[in-house]
Amino acid sequence: MSAAAMTWVVSPNSEQLCNGLRFLEKGVFSGGRLKNVGRKHECFSFFGSRKRDVGSRVVANPSGNLAISSEQLVYDVVLKQVALVKEQQRSREEEDMEVKPDIVVPGTLGVLNEAYDRCGEVCAEYAKTFYLGTLLMTPERRKAIWAIYVWCRRTDELVDGPNASHITPKALDRWESRLEDLFNGRPFDMLDAALSDTVSKFPVDIQPFKDMIDGMRMDLKKSRYENFDELYLYCYYVAGTVGLMSVPIMGIAHESNAPTESVYNAALALGIANQLTNILRDVGEDARRGRVYLPQDELAQAGLSDEDIFAMKVTDKWRFFMKKQIKRARTFFDQAEEGVTQLSSASRWPVWASLLLYRQILDEIEANDYNNFTRRAYVSKPKKIVALPIAYVKSLVPPSSRKLVTN
Amino acid sequence: MVCSARILDVSYPLTPSFSSYVPSAHHNSRYICRNLKSTVRWRAMASPDPDASKYASAASIDADSAAKNAAGFCIIEGPETVQDFDKMDIQEIQDNIRSRRNKIFLHMEEVRRLRIQQRIKSDELGILNEEQDGELPDFPSFIPFLPPLQSSANLKQYYATCFSLISGIIIFGGLLAPALELKLGIGGTSYADFISSMHLPMQLSDVDPIVASFSGGAVGVISALMVVEINNVKQQEHKRCKYCLGTGYLACARCASTGAIVLIDPVASASGGNQPLSPPKTERCSNCSGAGKVMCPTCLCTGMAMASEHDPRIDPFD
Repeated sequence: MSAAAMTWVVSPNSEQLCNGLRFLEKGVFSGGRLKNVGRKHECFSFFGSRKRDVGSRVVANPSGNLAISSEQLVYDVVLKQVALVKEQQRSREEEDMEVKPDIVVPGTLGVLNEAYDRCGEVCAEYAKTFYLGTLLMTPERRKAIWAIYVWCRRTDELVDGPNASHITPKALDRWESRLEDLFNGRPFDMLDAALSDTVSKFPVDIQPFKDMIDGMRMDLKKSRYENFDELYLYCYYVAGTVGLMSVPIMGIAHESNAPTESVYNAALALGIANQLTNILRDVGEDARRGRVYLPQDELAQAGLSDEDIFAMKVTDKWRFFMKKQIKRARTFFDQAEEGVTQLSSASRWPVWASLLLYRQILDEIEANDYNNFTRRAYVSKPKKIVALPIAYVKSLVPPSSRKLVTN
Repeated sequence: MVCSARILDVSYPLTPSFSSYVPSAHHNSRYICRNLKSTVRWRAMASPDPDASKYASAASIDADSAAKNAAGFCIIEGPETVQDFDKMDIQEIQDNIRSRRNKIFLHMEEVRRLRIQQRIKSDELGILNEEQDGELPDFPSFIPFLPPLQSSANLKQYYATCFSLISGIIIFGGLLAPALELKLGIGGTSYADFISSMHLPMQLSDVDPIVASFSGGAVGVISALMVVEINNVKQQEHKRCKYCLGTGYLACARCASTGAIVLIDPVASASGGNQPLSPPKTERCSNCSGAGKVMCPTCLCTGMAMASEHDPRIDPFD
């Protein structure tokens, strides 16, 4: 540093044009989990369009009160995001295209570049396949994704890492206030600075990040999920949020006429799909830690219980149960696929690649005769390599240019 | 629920026998007491029990009303953490440091005694004693492909193997080979024939045997040491925290690791004229207290991927 300089990344406020929402597809690259210890966390996800009937989302809980289902809660978050994006677009159209010059304080560019490089190193260290996938993206998107990855991973390591025993709820509160500061252009350390720079360049909203921290808080308390609704909320917190974070980075193609909401929903669905795949792959590993990430009521319906899971034996009941779970995960992947084509052209290939690869994990589970207790389903290197050209071909499909019917 | 790690963290308050070691003439004993309370509360808060959190919230009200400084130590740094302990004067700070070091020492002693009890009790109950919390695991061998060392047992094996190998080679080279007139060149040729068949300059065959064996031995030793060192570096790197690369710190974003912030008050020069503006004033960065770097929250300033209480907290001003 040659000159003493004040380096607070000047973050334009949220009146920044969302130039197209981008997707980031991560999960597929088998480094899809942020952490290998304990909890299941997914990194990036994708969405598919999904029209929801609002009325059906409200369910009654046992006490007779009307409770809003997780899906509705999550959908509300998506709607809020979309509204934010539309507002940004509108305000941008109203103002003259006033380009705010990037205020680069002399001597700070080096720190920022170094920070991004460090993010890349961390990503390469902990998620090798994912890192290779990011190399398929444009350099700016790549750096942005690395910054997001590192933040998500640091947050995850707070509660799930080797030093997690020193973390208190107050520590998470402080982490959250650091997050708010960095969104306001006042990052605390250099890795925060990389994320701060990213959110100043791309129209990323803070809500998914906050939700991820909430997910960490929730995960401290829960190790069983009574129904799919609870599991859905958890999957949203740890994986759906990542999808929402990455949509602004990957960008929606200009020529796409699909509603923004559908693209976000597709990204959400991809995140959920990735997380469910993770869960289904790691049943044995989680059971060894005393955790069951499968809905208890569905287990009961299939005639299974936690003891059966801890016994780690594949029975016909188990096969039947797993078939249904895999089918549901595949539905989420299908929903996600509808949205991938709406992404901007440079982003479609990596996203398709990761979608196809992660989807194959489900096939591998089936090939293992549903033995996810003792065998880890993984996609072999040759299959991974073969998926790349297939994904490339799929990425050539252009987004829908005719107006989609919205009901 | 996997919370065993947290349960292990619940610290017992100092027993009366130990508290007599604490200098009682401390005019800052109130800091110590408050910190004790907050320590217990802090640990309790780490447990996910709803009961514990109720206890924690009740205790926190007491702690909050007590003093701002002890009102909740938080391991994660934020922009305002530099204000922690800000109100003390230098003598108070020194006293606090001394008393905390003392407490750490006493706590380590308590841990040792508790561990002895743990060993006794688990032997009584016949519980298999797995490795103790990963405290001092078997240290891996620096030589690649070899199994980890386990202090004395393996080391004896190593000595035996090494000794026998060396004596075997000496016997072979010194006695067997000349006796059998072994010619180890390709096709049973002698050294001179070997050199000429490889079309190397003939002066190589005239090399003095002492020089040859010295050179060969030296090359072997040096390359072996190199291999071991590289392996050592790789292993140490593996243990390093990947975020801060083992330094324990990340660059402060506010001052871009310079430690100083430029004050940008507008400057008006009333006298006008051609005088150049004076250089801007700087003040110490409040984020990092002038160190230019802030704590890495992943390794908690230890620089190791897995921090333990043995790791010294790296000092930013070193």
